[in-house]
Amino acid sequence: MQSDGAVLRMRGISKRYGSVTALQGVDFSLAAGEVMALLGENGAGKSTLVKILAGLERADAGTIEIGGVLRRLRSPSQSLHAGVAYVTQELSIVAPLSVAENICLGSDRHALWSRRRLDRVVRRHLDLVGLGDIDSATPAGDLSVAQQQLVEIARLLSRNARILILDEPTAALSDAEIEKVKAVVRTLAAEGRSIIYVTHRLGEVFEIADRVTIFRNGHSFAPMEVKSLDVDRLIEHLLGRRLEQMFPERGSISGPVVLALRDVTAPGLREPVSFDLHKGEILGLAGQLGSGAAAVVRAIAGVTPRLGGTIALHGRPLDARSVRNAIAAGIAYCSDDRKRDGIFAVRNLFENFTSPALPRITVGGVLSRGREVKLASDLAAFFEVARDRLGSHAGKLSGGNQQKVALGKWLGIEPSLLLVEEPTRGVDVGARAEIYRHMRGLANQGLAVVFVSSDNQEVLGLADTVATFFRGRLVRITAAEHLKPEELLRDVTHPEAVAAGGPA
Amino acid sequence: MTSFRPIADVAGAGSGGEFDPRVATRRRRVATAIVIAALVVLAGIGGAFTPTFLTFDNLLVVIRQASITGVIALGMSYVTISGNLFALSAEELAILTACIFGWLMRAKFGLALSLIATLLFAGLGGAVQGGIIALGADPIITTLAFGGFFRGLASVVSQNQNILLGTDAAQWLGTGRPLGVPTQSWAFLILTPLAWIVLQKTRIGRVLVLAGANRAAARSAGLRVGQAALLGLTLLGLCCGLAGISAAAQFGQAVANLFQGLNFDVVAAVLVGGIALRGGQGSPIQAALGAAFIALLQNFMLLNDFSSGWRMTVVGSLVALATCLFHILQRRRE
Repeated sequence: MQSDGAVLRMRGISKRYGSVTALQGVDFSLAAGEVMALLGENGAGKSTLVKILAGLERADAGTIEIGGVLRRLRSPSQSLHAGVAYVTQELSIVAPLSVAENICLGSDRHALWSRRRLDRVVRRHLDLVGLGDIDSATPAGDLSVAQQQLVEIARLLSRNARILILDEPTAALSDAEIEKVKAVVRTLAAEGRSIIYVTHRLGEVFEIADRVTIFRNGHSFAPMEVKSLDVDRLIEHLLGRRLEQMFPERGSISGPVVLALRDVTAPGLREPVSFDLHKGEILGLAGQLGSGAAAVVRAIAGVTPRLGGTIALHGRPLDARSVRNAIAAGIAYCSDDRKRDGIFAVRNLFENFTSPALPRITVGGVLSRGREVKLASDLAAFFEVARDRLGSHAGKLSGGNQQKVALGKWLGIEPSLLLVEEPTRGVDVGARAEIYRHMRGLANQGLAVVFVSSDNQEVLGLADTVATFFRGRLVRITAAEHLKPEELLRDVTHPEAVAAGGPA
Repeated sequence: MTSFRPIADVAGAGSGGEFDPRVATRRRRVATAIVIAALVVLAGIGGAFTPTFLTFDNLLVVIRQASITGVIALGMSYVTISGNLFALSAEELAILTACIFGWLMRAKFGLALSLIATLLFAGLGGAVQGGIIALGADPIITTLAFGGFFRGLASVVSQNQNILLGTDAAQWLGTGRPLGVPTQSWAFLILTPLAWIVLQKTRIGRVLVLAGANRAAARSAGLRVGQAALLGLTLLGLCCGLAGISAAAQFGQAVANLFQGLNFDVVAAVLVGGIALRGGQGSPIQAALGAAFIALLQNFMLLNDFSSGWRMTVVGSLVALATCLFHILQRRRE
């Protein structure tokens, strides 16, 4: 193997989850001392690639070379041993332990530690991540999220990590904290370490990355020098060609207002939000994690409290203090995690489909088998779930069919408003188109639909009206047909706002 | 949103053919089938080696032995299926209700009033625990604490002495044999299908199962998940009350050291019956079969002069084996 400065070389990596292809023959390489940004829409495969590298997932095919040596990475500890460290969005900081203890956690080089000795050992790493002014005896739980993230990086540095994977490190941070994390990334690269930087924020790419690899539908493209790009070209590469046939025809909206929000504030929103939603209309709330788009539907659904403003449903004030209240008012809500709270994996589809509508299948407290079968069969038929699968456990179905169950069960309560977060997360392409068609079908029958999505194609293709969100603020509301993909991407990532003064 | 378009051809709908419904049905029946097979095998071996084993009189003894454990195991299966593991206060609540029943009878409150008051107390004792668990407390710790409370209260009520009922009025409850079958066994035989029907056919039973299967999903479907713990623990309390009353009536007296090792026997019945520990699966019938199997095994060992140490060793290893067999396999299927 000739040396061309690559510390990492992944070739022909493929990975399938059941019927979904996450990665197909992906090549990826990384040079020493470079910051490589990974960009791609949700489900494009970038998370899968870094998980394979971190030893959290196993590739079905392909090879991984680190420092010119072929490696098998079957567990996080093997990856760490090979010099690869993965900083996830969920931190593994032990809050009651001190900063120094957290850094040394799990390393068993010494049996006895004194506070002074600990401090001496960790000082160098703390300096490196810009926490030189912190007392290493401080409990880690007292630090801010950004500082905890830096402590986690310091811990990985103390294990001699040569390749650092940062998975959306700035998603949960404030602007000032983001600057700090970026500065550390640059310092580490200058020291000769290589950094894989997974992000949704285009501005960050221009600010800190040397090269960028773009993922689309399980494929990767050859890395591009960031210097040779501008925001427009990056967006062009990122979006690729549209998949128009994925999405159903839009209808015409002329119905009355179903839902009206006026100056609504809720946890996760920095500014009040107002909008109207009509009968038969599909409103797409576009935004990345933490943008506030999900906060809006959660407040409507009674999942989180509404802090201010008014919500009216059919002209009557709605005060959903709980999910039960909202359901009683005819509001159906699907969260973004169907395994957590959307389906009953160990129960059959009859029971899943009828779970929100038990009163409808009950006579005097006793379940009517006939009514249950009828309701479940009708819902299954509408959502094109094969009837002979009604007896099977929901957990055994494909992601697409599970999503149909998580959505379809709500029709049993005859809702007037449907709220969906990430309607096609973890759903393969074929089932995606079906779910879009069903959502449009429901809107055509008079249901008002609000969905939250970080998938911009989905927002543009499915919604009648689009509301864009960025960092807790509603950016704008506009008709989907007048919104260009580039504008949408700019709204939800604000490349200029972040990269102001950057090399772009 | 009142009518749904029927889809003419649903057979070709959906993606992939990864599922065969017969497989799932078979798997769900597997646990029950294993227990029934084990029962038959044990009865066969017992009958072949021990002549007195498969006699009508001995089988009545076995059923009676199984009944006390079995009735409480029915209640316990509700707790487990509702996703709240086990209530470790069953034995103690049974003791306490025996003492309360004895005390009420001795104080001449009369059979009917004593029965009603004792059962009310038993249900309340369960409901309070269920309410606390419904609020989010850990079921094991909560019931462990209440177990200590009940046991202490039983000592206080009985003043650590035998409470003689002082009347034969209740004796029939403990020793009667309508149609030749002991009353406890009647209770067991009637309550088993009843427990199954309530869980399978009523709305509250469905809420309990769904809350056990996935509490978060049940809550977001608008179900009152707190009802699950409340119902399970209340019914378990009533079962404990029945056991306590029957024991006090059978011996004509109540004492604070009744039912030794009952908690373990009940948990063993649920586990040997193959009810999934993480909730949402299984049926009371499995717990009943588990109780019957353990009683049969105990009886077989008694007839063959196993010492109490060996009996405990065998039952203990059986529970460990059942845990391995059912629960590790169930997890692997996920």
